[in-house]
Amino acid sequence: MKAIESIPDRKLLLFKSCMVGQEYPGVETATRYVFDRLGVDYCINDEQSCCTGIGHYTDIFEGLTTTAIAARNFAVARRCGYPNITCLCSTCYAINKEACELLNNNAEVRDKVNSIFKEKGFDDLIYEKGDMDPRTNFYHAVEIILSKVGKIQEEKKFDFSGVKTAAHHACHYYKVKYLDVVGSPENPQLIDTIAAACGASPLRWYEDRTLTCGMGFSQLHLNKNTSLQVTKTKLDSLQRAGVELMIHMCPNCHIQYDRYQPVIEKEFGVKYDMVHMNIAQFVALSMGADPYKVCGFQTHSVPLEGFLEKTGVI
Amino acid sequence: MIPYVNEYDTPDCKTLAETAKKSIRTPESLGLDRCIQCGACTASCPAARFTDYSPRQIVKKVLENDRSVLESEMIWSCFYCYSCNVRCPRNNSPVTIVQVLRQMAINEGIGVEKLAYFLEIGEYLAENGASKVPVAGIKNMERDLGERWIGIKRNLEVIRSELGLSSRDVRDTHGEVQAILESTGYFDREKWIKEKIQEKKINGFLNTNYYSDNEKKNGDFRFESDRKYTGQEALIV
Repeated sequence: MKAIESIPDRKLLLFKSCMVGQEYPGVETATRYVFDRLGVDYCINDEQSCCTGIGHYTDIFEGLTTTAIAARNFAVARRCGYPNITCLCSTCYAINKEACELLNNNAEVRDKVNSIFKEKGFDDLIYEKGDMDPRTNFYHAVEIILSKVGKIQEEKKFDFSGVKTAAHHACHYYKVKYLDVVGSPENPQLIDTIAAACGASPLRWYEDRTLTCGMGFSQLHLNKNTSLQVTKTKLDSLQRAGVELMIHMCPNCHIQYDRYQPVIEKEFGVKYDMVHMNIAQFVALSMGADPYKVCGFQTHSVPLEGFLEKTGVI
Repeated sequence: MIPYVNEYDTPDCKTLAETAKKSIRTPESLGLDRCIQCGACTASCPAARFTDYSPRQIVKKVLENDRSVLESEMIWSCFYCYSCNVRCPRNNSPVTIVQVLRQMAINEGIGVEKLAYFLEIGEYLAENGASKVPVAGIKNMERDLGERWIGIKRNLEVIRSELGLSSRDVRDTHGEVQAILESTGYFDREKWIKEKIQEKKINGFLNTNYYSDNEKKNGDFRFESDRKYTGQEALIV
């Protein structure tokens, strides 16, 4: 289990996420806003590429390519002096952590990756065993925010007391490297703890709490009906529990719940009352950030205006 | 046979189980041999809940070295959610074993048509350093998500600029990502897959209807189904 005290707030490379950038850019700006307010030392580096997660989990990338791309990104992080890779997306987190483990433990793969770098003249990308530590160099942004929960409580401008929230902790955060999670992988509470610090009333357990969002990489595109049935199951459970706000930590889950909630309503003839946001957007809001200029709610599919008016934000 | 041998994902071994254990897709400590067929994987599987997919059955087939599993539709139903990975009491990992099986199937040209949709991700990544939803996916999303989403996408560059971000999310990888993809053999493999898809299309085997109503996934072997038991409503705490 990962100890909260061990989570760093210095030398973090905020790892850009392709799906955040293209669908919910407000997640990146809200995270930056929160990090700035909490005094976190981080940098963003445009040399960092996609982790390959989307291609890896749609089976088009094999492990060697994924590992070589990861090794390159590790070099980018080390070169700029910000070696603590901090992800906005749970798949980036899992891909990087696993690649690091492989590069440290599998000499054959490491040598192969390094021989590619040498052949191409990319000597500064070469990865030596132990250059990165899979346990101490890789974080999800939500862990950094959790480690500052006391300060969030002090800094909050809006009180969300009485707002019934439910968390969806991302599968690739807590089910891939499950021994290295803050809290129990059977019932992670990171988002709930942060939401409570913002004054909300999180629902600590609900039916199907650990069910995946349903995106399933190729599943949404190849088996849409099954994919949406999985998503619907969780939304149904939240509706029964009277949840107003569902909070996520991964852009893939965010797309699945926010973008596809109206689709499920139409295709399955149901109606849901909950709205969606990322935990960084929620914390930024509670600290007084602008819902559009910082949180970027204008890119959401389920309109948040009703929620923002009710809670007095706008 | 595929010209580029995917030797790290699918190392050539005598049995499926050996390949799965040696593959870099599975954890080093994979407890495949320790599987007790308890079914915790299937019990926690979202695909098993809505289709006839069964990770327990797939693991059984792998242990029995039954290569017909590679031709089963079933291996393409996994969500890669890793619920089985976290729940297995014996440190087995059906989700990563399925990843190896899919790679083995691809090497033999089985199921390659399912990749058609996603192949442009590689080229886009090489060029821009980022990934994106493939064009076919965008078309489906436009149809499903409608005007609001189309409007958001149309205004994205403006919205990003207003948020203080660069108007487009393009990375500066100095051509390194392109070079890496060339050297690992990614593009050779992609080319081979494309040819194979074309070949299948010509032979008329390709089902281009991604939204077929028939999404039943009972695969090619007769998997038992316990779907008749409707169960009790779970308590909401």
